[in-house]
Amino acid sequence: MTARVIVVTSGKGGVGKTTATANLAAALANMGKKVVAVDGDVGLRNLDVIMGLENRIVYTLIDALDGTCRLNQTFIRDKRIENLFMIPTAQSRTKDAVTAEQMIEVCDELRREFDYVLVDSPAGIEAGFRNSAAGADEALVVTTPEVSAVRDADRIIGLLESMNKSPIRLIVNRIRPHMVKKGDMLGVSDVLDILAIDLIGMVPDDEAVVTSSNKGEPLVLSSAPPAARAFRNIASRIAGSDVPFMNLELPDSGSLFGKIRRAIWGH
Amino acid sequence: MIKLKGMYDSMLRCIISEDMDAVDFVKEFDEVRGKGKRFLPGAKVVLDFGARPLSEELIRDIMSDLVWSSGMYVAAWITYDAATQDLLKRIGLPTSEPAPSARTNERALGGTLLLQRSLRSGQRVEHAGDVIVAGHVNDGAEVLASGHVTVLGRLNGLVHAGNNGDETASVIARSMEALQVRIGTKIGSLDRDERWWGKMVIVRVSEGSVFIDYWPAVKSENRDENAG
Ligand SMILES: Nc1ncnc2c1ncn2[C@@H]1O[C@H](COP(=O)(O)OP(=O)(O)OP(=O)(O)O)[C@@H](O)[C@H]1O
Ligand SMILES: [Mg+2]
Repeated sequence: MTARVIVVTSGKGGVGKTTATANLAAALANMGKKVVAVDGDVGLRNLDVIMGLENRIVYTLIDALDGTCRLNQTFIRDKRIENLFMIPTAQSRTKDAVTAEQMIEVCDELRREFDYVLVDSPAGIEAGFRNSAAGADEALVVTTPEVSAVRDADRIIGLLESMNKSPIRLIVNRIRPHMVKKGDMLGVSDVLDILAIDLIGMVPDDEAVVTSSNKGEPLVLSSAPPAARAFRNIASRIAGSDVPFMNLELPDSGSLFGKIRRAIWGH
Repeated sequence: MIKLKGMYDSMLRCIISEDMDAVDFVKEFDEVRGKGKRFLPGAKVVLDFGARPLSEELIRDIMSDLVWSSGMYVAAWITYDAATQDLLKRIGLPTSEPAPSARTNERALGGTLLLQRSLRSGQRVEHAGDVIVAGHVNDGAEVLASGHVTVLGRLNGLVHAGNNGDETASVIARSMEALQVRIGTKIGSLDRDERWWGKMVIVRVSEGSVFIDYWPAVKSENRDENAG
């Protein structure tokens, strides 16, 4: 196997990187892929909590790097979804506990055993972002439609471009239907206009996201919530299917979606 | 990949390609030193990193494995990453494109920087001469030029034309969407609800104030309206 290694990142913090990593990992595994989610956000451990695996941590990524254990001893297998694994990190270390070289080595080792390696990284404005992104081929940039988040996303896209990640694709998270396009909220087409990268998905603001991460239960296992469907669609697009976009932004959806299609499929 | 190219005034430009992996630096430096054994010692070189950010550690490596060991003289360290420019300046290294000497007609060529890309937030271009951006200047990006600045895309970020104090410099933008434009020592500001917002405009200084006008001019009376 040679996995695709994808870093999930953002400019600003708190926009939904960890949520996206956990749900996309679960959705890809649910599609029959062998997936590992790596907590690359050293110092702020929470991927394990959102995935509901925190009670089962024995060794962390740092232990493997220290030589305390082998890398595969850090794997936690998810009991609910076959083929879903995660690698936790230590909370106590500083952001630069893992070097770029170490991250490249870890990713290369994981590449041999999985279909997808998803790396949850710290926000781009924090130290440690470059290191945790070092081993990845591709990037998913998460942003909310706020002006400040988009500006920070722009900056991180510049960094990812100069790190030669390709493709770099965008997830616009926490979109509210009937969202008023004023103040510091932007429409999805404005976000795309500014960032000029491909959109891979739009995720609605959904209370179910908060409850599911509190319960540590992957959202994508249930079928009803709109955010769950959005994450499943993104997972399918990552895997290469042409899934139509959900209609999240009313009322001028016609022109907006025309624009997004063009932005993505080039026509 | 690292490329060496001739510039004006017998200067060399060493282009460190943006998409080269940092792990390949050592090998590539070796190659450049090998190829330039005869002409690099004492040569004036512009190190061009594109938009690549450099860490302190990497700057140290470049110093020891490329600059000192090859005997080159670095006239400028060019990167569009603003944080790296600040770091280089703190260390005391030159970060702006050296101005060509006026004696040859290459001045016109060497004096204008044509940037065929958009500048993203956190990227900055500093240039002694005129700058043309064939792309957007996004919010959080900066263009500083001693001469004129033309933005063929959307201008959201900060442009400072005539940044050495030259108030004959002007700024042209295809879509003006910046709250502020600087020329020489003056600052012009614009509100979102003004009629020039989103339009193709020219900004310049006349009699000590900053003026904005449609470009090309539609009516001559628009000329004297103050941008604020
Ligand atoms: N689509 C959504 N709808 C509602 N709430 C959301 C959505 N996405 C994320 N959230 C909530 O936003 C908060 C931040 O999410 P998350 O921890 O995934 O962000 P992050 O980018 O990983 O943050 P950090 O930068 O701190 O690592 C969480 O409480 C999460 O439940
Ligand atoms: Mg997180």
